[in-house]
Amino acid sequence: MGILASGWSLLPSFTVIGLVLGGTYALAAMGLVLIYRVSGVLNFAHGAVAMFSTFIAYQVAVRWHLPSVVGLLAAIAAGMVIGYIVERLTMRPLTGRPALTKVVITIGWLLILQAGAGLIWGATSYHEPVHLVSRSGFRLIGTQVVIGYDQLTTLIVALVFAVATALLLKRTILGTSMRAVADDPDTGKLWGISVNRVTAASWMAGSAMAAVAGVLITPLINFNTYSLTLIVIDAFTAALIGRLTSLPWTFVGAMFLGIAETYPRAFFNGAGVSSLVAFILMLATLAFLFRPGFSRGRTV
Amino acid sequence: MNPATARRASVFAGIVLAVAIPGLMTDYYRSLAALAVIVAILILSLNLLTGFVGQISFCQYTFAGLGAMTVGALSGAQGHHWSFWISMPLGVLFAALGGFLVGIPALRLSGLFLAILTLGVALGADRYLFANGTWNSFTGGVNPRTPSRPTLFGYHLTGQYSFYLFAFVIFLLVALLVWNMRIGKTGRVLRAIRESEVAASTMGLNLVKWKLAAFTVSAAIAGLGGALLAVQIGSVSPASYDFLHSITLAAVVVVAGVGSLASAAIGGLFVWWVPELLNHLGVNAQFFPLILGTLLVTQLVFAPQGGVVKLQHDLGKLLKIGGRRAALEPELAEVL
Repeated sequence: MGILASGWSLLPSFTVIGLVLGGTYALAAMGLVLIYRVSGVLNFAHGAVAMFSTFIAYQVAVRWHLPSVVGLLAAIAAGMVIGYIVERLTMRPLTGRPALTKVVITIGWLLILQAGAGLIWGATSYHEPVHLVSRSGFRLIGTQVVIGYDQLTTLIVALVFAVATALLLKRTILGTSMRAVADDPDTGKLWGISVNRVTAASWMAGSAMAAVAGVLITPLINFNTYSLTLIVIDAFTAALIGRLTSLPWTFVGAMFLGIAETYPRAFFNGAGVSSLVAFILMLATLAFLFRPGFSRGRTV
Repeated sequence: MNPATARRASVFAGIVLAVAIPGLMTDYYRSLAALAVIVAILILSLNLLTGFVGQISFCQYTFAGLGAMTVGALSGAQGHHWSFWISMPLGVLFAALGGFLVGIPALRLSGLFLAILTLGVALGADRYLFANGTWNSFTGGVNPRTPSRPTLFGYHLTGQYSFYLFAFVIFLLVALLVWNMRIGKTGRVLRAIRESEVAASTMGLNLVKWKLAAFTVSAAIAGLGGALLAVQIGSVSPASYDFLHSITLAAVVVVAGVGSLASAAIGGLFVWWVPELLNHLGVNAQFFPLILGTLLVTQLVFAPQGGVVKLQHDLGKLLKIGGRRAALEPELAEVL
């Protein structure tokens, strides 16, 4: 992240980097919240799903030299397939079981996806990122800040997905069904909603969002099977800021987290301090937003 | 046979076998046996937390790392050359302090949010505390510390078999401690808290004190395991204490069963001997987490009490011993 001439003069361009990072977190976190709201399961394997799908994109776009967009589409498809498999094979048979059993199952999926990707693509090596668009950029009028087209694309994609998810939930029958199931699965059934199908749809959509986030974040980090799985913790933090229920607050939280993680890099060497920021933010959110008495339910 | 006699006999037989069998092995397998025993100690630390108090932790290896790095920094060849008998207790204390600090926010959280918190602690340690550049005089940075084996009563424990026996005795002591906590007053208190926090506090139990104590003792045991791991391997690398190790440990505990001492021993064997078996079969050892994850998922779908506990239960029913006790083992979901 650049040699530090002067911390303060770097802040404008670091704001852009932070927002881009935040945009990818927002995508992942919104997928997490969508799954949690509809199925009541906090998916610890969310980062692993993003990682595995991203490696599919890497296989298609970097190894097979197909257009990056094809890679992105392949990643989305992979995310949806993984989401469906997880829901159909391991969540649906446990309907009515405590949510924590299902959460521990997602730990099992984390191990499976992590080891699987390590076996296929190599566990420790670093990989060439998937570039969706050229890395050239333009200078923001009247400033020194250069914005890359790839950064702009990431921000736009994040915003489009945020708006699309909101529209999906508010305006479509599937979205209304999702909200109904989130409120009360039994009443949903009475209204003729197929709870299984809606839950599966939420797992597929949420995992697809994780996949997009994974592909978009590859140019920003050294990407391997380990580092991508770790974005689950950033997604958790953003989702916690949204109290695991509110999509707009999750989006805001993710942007805030992205900036909070980026600014310290203008002043301190190394990534350590920014990781500490994420951890402190998470601790603070857990302490203040999740006091005892906070309803752990599926409120909308 | 009377169940208590049967249990005593099986524990005795287990100890005799555990001492005798590694005696017949080559040094390489003895070192694997020692590693298995150390992992069993780590599993006990998690058992204490999960099986007795119903708290989950995804950061046991972080506590183990605190113990291991203390030993590495104080006893390592590049460090202060202190005796293991000074650095090990300090490592245990440091890990206990870590457990205490994590226990404070954990008091307000339960279940899901505690899981998130401990995962956050493990990742925070990976990416900050244990990262190269943050505190290299403690972690060793890119040059792993190399602590040497301790001396006991004038006898240097450099041999693989002698060190295995040393680690095994410590495992037995920890198991005894955990077993006593389980059947004594402490065990009753912790189980009361697990079953219902509200009911427990109505009985006049100080929840804050007991839960903090459970976290602290659990972290201390993990720190002890880490200190042993440091001198067994002879090198302390932060990558050996990352969150994937912690998650693997949690998965092993779930697969083997929560709250059973036998499951700790078998879990320890599982962690070190299955990858070895895979190597022998010509299979990449990276298949191990894949197998573990698959076991975890299938077993939670089909046998939620935990594999070893279920086996004990079935075996007990078959032999008409100890079946009642095994039946008392709760389903994982009830524990958490």
